Amino acid sequence: MADLGAPASEGFAPTGTGPFGRMARGQYAALAAMRMRLFVNGLRSNDGVFELGARAIAYVVYGCMGVGLGVGAGVTAYSFVSRQMWQLMPIEFWVICFVWQAVSVALASFQEQFDLGGLLRFPIGFGAFYGLCVLFGLVDASTLLGGLCSIGVLAGVTIARPDLFGWTALGLVIFAAFNILLVRAILAWIDRWLAKRRSREIVSAIFLLAVVSLQLLNPALHQPGNSRLHGRAARNAAARAMADQVRPWVKYVGAVQAWLPPGLVAVAIEQSAERETAPAMMSVSVLGLYALAAGGLLAFRLRAEYRGENLGEAPTKTKADARESGRLIGGAGPISAVIEKDLRTLTRSMPQLYAVCVPMLMVFIIGSVFRNGFTGTGHPFQFALPICVAYGLLGFAQLMYNNLGPEGKGIQMLFLFPVPIRTVMLAKNMFHALLFMLVALISGLLACLRLGPPSALLVVTTLAWLAFALPANLAAGNVLSITMAYRVNLGRIGRQAGSQANALLSMLIQMTLLGVGAAVIASCTVFDRLWLATPILLVLSAGALFAWLKILSNVDAMANQRRDVLIAKLARTE
Amino acid sequence: MEIAAIQTHGLTRRFGELTAVENVTLSVAQGQFFGFLGPNGAGKSTTIKMLTGLLEPSAGTVEILGQPFGAAALELKRQIGVVPEGMALLGRLTATEYLRFVGSMYGLDRDTVNRRTEELLEFMQLAGDRRKMVTDFSHGMQKKLALAAAVIHGPKVLFLDEPFEGVDAIAAGMLKVMLQGMIQRGATIFLTTHVLEIVERLCSHVAIIHQGRLVANGSIDELRAGVASTLPGAESGQRLTLEEIFLSIVGAGGGEPVQELSWLT
Repeated sequence: MADLGAPASEGFAPTGTGPFGRMARGQYAALAAMRMRLFVNGLRSNDGVFELGARAIAYVVYGCMGVGLGVGAGVTAYSFVSRQMWQLMPIEFWVICFVWQAVSVALASFQEQFDLGGLLRFPIGFGAFYGLCVLFGLVDASTLLGGLCSIGVLAGVTIARPDLFGWTALGLVIFAAFNILLVRAILAWIDRWLAKRRSREIVSAIFLLAVVSLQLLNPALHQPGNSRLHGRAARNAAARAMADQVRPWVKYVGAVQAWLPPGLVAVAIEQSAERETAPAMMSVSVLGLYALAAGGLLAFRLRAEYRGENLGEAPTKTKADARESGRLIGGAGPISAVIEKDLRTLTRSMPQLYAVCVPMLMVFIIGSVFRNGFTGTGHPFQFALPICVAYGLLGFAQLMYNNLGPEGKGIQMLFLFPVPIRTVMLAKNMFHALLFMLVALISGLLACLRLGPPSALLVVTTLAWLAFALPANLAAGNVLSITMAYRVNLGRIGRQAGSQANALLSMLIQMTLLGVGAAVIASCTVFDRLWLATPILLVLSAGALFAWLKILSNVDAMANQRRDVLIAKLARTE
Repeated sequence: MEIAAIQTHGLTRRFGELTAVENVTLSVAQGQFFGFLGPNGAGKSTTIKMLTGLLEPSAGTVEILGQPFGAAALELKRQIGVVPEGMALLGRLTATEYLRFVGSMYGLDRDTVNRRTEELLEFMQLAGDRRKMVTDFSHGMQKKLALAAAVIHGPKVLFLDEPFEGVDAIAAGMLKVMLQGMIQRGATIFLTTHVLEIVERLCSHVAIIHQGRLVANGSIDELRAGVASTLPGAESGQRLTLEEIFLSIVGAGGGEPVQELSWLT
């Protein structure tokens, strides 16, 4: 029993200073125990068990991807080192660096992350807060993938030149530290920038401008009357001319990149191979400075958070404008109300905009790959259009498969309104379908601009696949949105409370839909009957449409059956 | 005989082995300002959730304006307004957009929605912040917006869960006037709050729930008389406050002294 008569100062453990002091260690232990209890308590429900299973599967998938990338990185490193192709080594490290950073940002919205901001009400030191932020950052897919790539490189270099082990290991450890700290810093700064509405709007505008600019670059870089018309010789001549133009820039970029972290690792390994110990030490030291700088950048951001910066309630500098904000769409009634609300929410939610727009950007890149003779035939890949369109739709995973998640506490209102949930879902489906078609159109146009107009038959086949994929995605999305909903923080890209189970299942469903489309088109192409793909896909489309309607008619029963769970999950206190 | 605005019979809700609300039977007449009191964790919010159709009762029945939730659920929802636990606002909308959204969801035509939105924003003194996103509102402003949303469709029965929490004194005064006006026009208000003075001033009838069970139900005078008769020290004619009545009923008044936390400075 507690001694209530003891003086106020009694009962505290002796405090030590710094992140490794006694108090900090006690706090780490308490946090670890708390995370363990959360984990164990999560297993009490079927959802929790399923979520754990999904997470295990996801990490096995990430692990397999990482092992694959690691083996690839190892083989590449072995090849470069054994053939002494030192000038190509930086490319490998740049790719690893890109994967490390890009994967982290891309998956940030889907991974469950612990928001450390909640710890600030406790007497936690800044060092401990910083350490915890880095420590929690270690447990994510990007670290797994990047770490395995680094191990692969270490293995490849060591097999080729065992004497380089020490320098390579040292360089890679610092390179890994740099990447881990940079990832945390980027995510922290993104959240900082996107916390304010004005910043979000500026970033959105820059993002859209970038997409449009890339589109406009296309005709500038590729003159009319291109490769299809002139044949391989003309293309090769054009490529040579382009290479001549680009060469000085490549030299310049090469010189600059050698002073950046991926270049520095490569240079350090090369210098150690040539027994230039002092320059190698210098390269590793500069790399260390970069790691410190990344750590400093993270510390600068976390320090502001630690001091109590509250981004969500930051006061606006200007007085609120009293001008009327007009309606975005016409019409009355619940369907237009829900569409209007979701449209406004989308335009103010960077994670959602990011998810929808980034695949379009990737389509531009994919288009470039195909344009440059990816297939080795010298001809653009003829199925680039459906592939680009399909890729453009990947960004809808979170929107469609967790369409109630952004409601948060507002989910209660959806159950209180005199409107069936079916109507709400229908409105959301209509909005997502319209957005889906817009993205498909833009992706298709981007693909056409990069690769030239496809055949009419391929356009019709692609449309038939879309007619199948859209209702199928909506149907599956409605089911998952009700059965595996999770709360989405619309103001943050990182620190989300995502559901691995939802992410995994939605990915599997999307892959299945892509697979079905690919199988039908490939089979028909093999038998030289591509025209047959359209009726087959239309039959599948009818089935998908029927499934969507059937599910939509049962949505109220499903939602009401899980009403308590939905409200508890989406309206729960952070 | 007039139909009760709210009628429950044996209302029970269990969460696994925990019984949050047990066998609650109460009747709230139309036009009543009804206070529903109870200590923290007594089952007030769970009861409101069942009364508003947000939570399925494990046993018992709920009738609002003579109709059970079920086939008539949508029609019933048009008749009720709710400020649910946590307010259920949408942070990424502005106040104007949120009220328009809510009005449209209740089936109001566009002109009515626009007009009422303006009136409510003015009334709640939120007009100057109409273009701020809800997430940037203070707690009190959010509370006022949630109240505005709950009444935009002119409900006949209004459920309010702690409506005065975090609201400044000026706004609280205006809200009281608004709520009393609604009562005068025939609406029914079901209010839960921990501010017993407000209940005493506004409510004609009160029910007290404790550990999931209804332990008192009636007009304040009836409760006062009931409690006075059980207090040995109470002098005849002594006017007990609602706080004294409440503490007496839930068993926290008098009795054992509270253990002192001497280590608190």
